[in-house]
Amino acid sequence: MGTKKYSFKRYRKLLLPLILLLAVTEGAAIVCGATFEKLLQGLSKGLSFLLYMFPPDWSAFAEMLQPAVESILIAFLGTVFGAILSIIFALFAASNLSNKYVRSIVRFLIGFERSIPEIVILLLLIAAFGLGAMAGIIALSIGCIGMIGKLLGDTIEEIDVIMMESMESVGANKLQIIAFGVMPQIMPSLISYVLFRFEINIRLSVILGAVGAGGIGYELEYAFGLLEYHRALTAILIIMIMVFGTERLSLMLRNKIKTEGVLK
Amino acid sequence: MIEVKNLTKSLPNGRKLLDGISFTVKKGEFVGILGPSGAGKTLTLRCLNGLLKPDSGEVILEDEKGLKHDLCKINKRELRRVRQRIGVIFQGYHLVKRLSALENVMIGRLGQINTFRSLFYGFTDEEAVEALKALEQVKIANMAEMKTGTLSGGEMQRVAIARAIFQSPALLIADEPISNLDPSNAKIIMKMIKPLSANIPVVGVFHQPEMTAKYCTRIIAIKDGKIFYDGDPKLSNNMLAEIYGEELSQIEQQEHAIPMVAVN
Repeated sequence: MGTKKYSFKRYRKLLLPLILLLAVTEGAAIVCGATFEKLLQGLSKGLSFLLYMFPPDWSAFAEMLQPAVESILIAFLGTVFGAILSIIFALFAASNLSNKYVRSIVRFLIGFERSIPEIVILLLLIAAFGLGAMAGIIALSIGCIGMIGKLLGDTIEEIDVIMMESMESVGANKLQIIAFGVMPQIMPSLISYVLFRFEINIRLSVILGAVGAGGIGYELEYAFGLLEYHRALTAILIIMIMVFGTERLSLMLRNKIKTEGVLK
Repeated sequence: MIEVKNLTKSLPNGRKLLDGISFTVKKGEFVGILGPSGAGKTLTLRCLNGLLKPDSGEVILEDEKGLKHDLCKINKRELRRVRQRIGVIFQGYHLVKRLSALENVMIGRLGQINTFRSLFYGFTDEEAVEALKALEQVKIANMAEMKTGTLSGGEMQRVAIARAIFQSPALLIADEPISNLDPSNAKIIMKMIKPLSANIPVVGVFHQPEMTAKYCTRIIAIKDGKIFYDGDPKLSNNMLAEIYGEELSQIEQQEHAIPMVAVN
């Protein structure tokens, strides 16, 4: 009995923040015009729309495979080039390799990149490269820097400084220390970050495709535009298979690295 | 031969860390540096391979050709060249854990080979054979292909010694090489370091007077940044008490002040 009373006391502290949160939520909903009525309406409409989209147009399946592959390739190339860019940024962002001032500038650039959504980068790039895969690949590559560059930079900073000092003491120069001391140590993390980013880039390549980078995203957007909903559903199914497949694959590989990492 | 003349180093507040340290170590000598913690042992050692620049004084390394290099005066580029021939062994091993034992040994020559070659080609077969011989010398050739991170402390320290041997050094420095090891491994390591002093000067910092009495040919004791004793490795109990005096008495006082209880 006594303990039960005591366990309720803990929630007293939460009461005021909870009321505040409720008030702010309600205020935000009023400002945005979001109501439960609309939610229910939308849900029923959405459900009937989904039913209306059925069945998928299987005849479009074959012709959508090529754009699907294109989307995957855009994501792949974007991740490869992005990883290379990120490694360079990460090396300059690590306190144990880089100069204090260079580090803070590079760290700022990485943070700055992270604050820009990929879609904004793409729109800027479309102005330079025109619509198509090229702009998408570059947008995804740049998009990697904010995430992989940051994570990898932190990983490098965890490397034993005296180990680097000991390489310095046999006369190795910076490039050699990076190649023989830093890269082998960060390799498992690097692969794991890159695989994770590849998953994200697959999803992003669909979204960017709809905005003008080509691929399956464009097909989806096009089908919706022509009100060919059965066709659109086919595209959605292909996208789900793509995303699910790469997620499983990447998870499998990352788990493998993790267990191998335990063994060192 | 290594010649140290009048090394001084002070903190900005005027506290003298090194106060006129001078000694010469010739080939055939295995010098053990003893002293209480904070006396300046490791600082002295770091001056010997140029990791630390003293405020004043000279550190002159003479190679087998009779060329003399003052480590305190030469520029960075030359220092890197001289360091190629200085083997260093650390207390915490500080090897590249994800590389194999053999690769860690070969790192010892990074400074001596062309950067371009080391980055894009790596080491030659002849170098690999020679590195394996170095591992044979420390009796762990059978572990050459194992990842260094999976080895025990004693084995890692042997890899570090093999790396120093592979450098074909003109001077060997050891910073508390046996402090992390159990007594039997410590003996093995001392037995492996000692024969190296036949051809080159060997200088090490130790905390084990019983070990240095057995294996070193000469002891230098440093206290308050000054040389307190320089001579025969077998020290009398009185001398040991004088070297470690303050530290020991402090510990004894603490033991009286804080009752210690063993907890399982």
